[in-house]
Amino acid sequence: MNKACQLAAVALLAAGCAAPEIKKAPAVSGDLVEEGRKLIAAASEKDKILWRYRVALVAMKAGRFTDARQLLDECLPTIGAILTADERTIKARSLFGNEAQKIYVGEPYEQAMAYFYRGLIYWMDGEPDNARACFKSAQLIDGDAKDKAFASDFALLDYLDGFATAKLLGDGSDMLRRARASAVSSKTNALTALPDYDRQANVLAFFQFGFGPLKHGGGRYGERLQYHVGHSAVHSVRFKIGEQTLHVSALDDLSFQATTRGGRLMDDILADKGSLKKPLEAIATIAPAAGAVLAGPKETRGTALPIIGAGVVAGAVSNAAEAMADTRTWNNLPQHLAFTAFRLPPGSHTAAMEFFDRDGKPLPKLTRSLTFEVRVGRDTVLFISDQ
Amino acid sequence: MIRNILFTITGAVLLAAFGAGCGTTGMNPHGVNVTEMRPDERGFVAGTGIESQDLVAVADKMARSILATTQIANAQGKPNIVLEPVVNETRFPINKEIFLTRIRVALNTKAGGKVTFLARDRMDALEKERDLKQTGKVTGGVANAPVEFKGADFILTGKLQSISTRSNNGSSDYVLYTFQLLDPRTSAILWEDFAEIKKQGQSDAVYR
Repeated sequence: MNKACQLAAVALLAAGCAAPEIKKAPAVSGDLVEEGRKLIAAASEKDKILWRYRVALVAMKAGRFTDARQLLDECLPTIGAILTADERTIKARSLFGNEAQKIYVGEPYEQAMAYFYRGLIYWMDGEPDNARACFKSAQLIDGDAKDKAFASDFALLDYLDGFATAKLLGDGSDMLRRARASAVSSKTNALTALPDYDRQANVLAFFQFGFGPLKHGGGRYGERLQYHVGHSAVHSVRFKIGEQTLHVSALDDLSFQATTRGGRLMDDILADKGSLKKPLEAIATIAPAAGAVLAGPKETRGTALPIIGAGVVAGAVSNAAEAMADTRTWNNLPQHLAFTAFRLPPGSHTAAMEFFDRDGKPLPKLTRSLTFEVRVGRDTVLFISDQ
Repeated sequence: MIRNILFTITGAVLLAAFGAGCGTTGMNPHGVNVTEMRPDERGFVAGTGIESQDLVAVADKMARSILATTQIANAQGKPNIVLEPVVNETRFPINKEIFLTRIRVALNTKAGGKVTFLARDRMDALEKERDLKQTGKVTGGVANAPVEFKGADFILTGKLQSISTRSNNGSSDYVLYTFQLLDPRTSAILWEDFAEIKKQGQSDAVYR
């Protein structure tokens, strides 16, 4: 082997043996809220509200209500506004536009939950009337269900609306009746889950259990907004503080809320896009074959090329057309909501919590205790999540 | 003949596709620069809720109306008024003090010293200062001095209520703003006025 060959062989070996470049994983602080804020900053404008929702709930679960308040306050002005046409909505509606190009505000159940959590924090801050305003808005957002039997049917939102009214020395009985009616229609034991209001109750405990619904695109082109129903091992919790024992059952079901909205106007637009894609696909499939057949005989040879061309164009248009529904989901929502209110004297208290499944069997792995401070002059609001 | 028909079909497919795809001649593709607006102007970010232009219009109307009441216009001396936060029964979370603050400022500006507002929302700081003075830790006080904090001749308060509807046809919100001047001695309502605003709107089809 001559020298040149030897050098080339060495060079090749050296090149082959070069150690792969090891990229360091980005530094992670371990602070989920701070990491979430980085994700919000990095998210495109159209996805920022989605990330704010998610991080706000992470913050609430971590007991960081100031962060959650700020994040939700950044969302509510947009979801409360009349969102008129802009470049994104026009594009989302167009044949080649994707629905997910619009600014995400969430489906009504997601928007309702943003208001619900903000209401909870208002109550925590000693503003039950602003909390009530949020619960009213949440319920109203759920009001455009196609089947009116499912419109504004969050039992807990009506119950809390009436409870805030009762606490503010008003008459919340209408809301209590509505809440119980909604609870009955969703097969919850209304009288157990929604007792009469106790104006003197100074501790409000909000619970959430399980994993909420997730969106996916159904139909041939993903044009139908559908849901993977959420799930929850927990169905109730026993809350024991000193001599008091409270059994709190799941009340509202977010999968039920998500799936009972009925058709959206956007679904019709997506269906139209899908129905346009279908014949174009057929042309794209048939036209080349027909063109090939016509290319054989001399007398039809002239028409073959345009037919093949039409097939190619139809295929390109069909591929470029976007009929996929927007499946961006607030994916850390729970499956169930539950609530109870009770009286405690001011000072420090510790509650023991045992969780139970649908059949009433205990889930010992989830058993835990909670220590909290009851203050004078305002209600103490507890937020407890099994996840 | 067949060729012409095929060309026409191809052309139509292309036109339909590009026509649909070109529906993106949107508004403000590059965003909108920060615009300074008057607070009584309706902005381009609008909902059906309580907005700054409503606050300004309602507060100004109430201030004018209060000044015209006989209790204020013909008062002997300067009546003392205490502001009580408004009761919010609407579906819109609001800063409850902002309406009364706006009315107070309008009254102070327009009334030319006809009324005195008492800073009850600052009682903690006021009591602390008084105590410091009375204990001689700061100047200006006398030990065991009689109470000098003034009592209210009138209490000004209000209530916000709403009727809201929402359907596939859009959202509608009617907000009724009522304000009252109360006599704390007799509980009599000395003055009352209202303003009402109704708004409705409908979001783009992609949000419905």
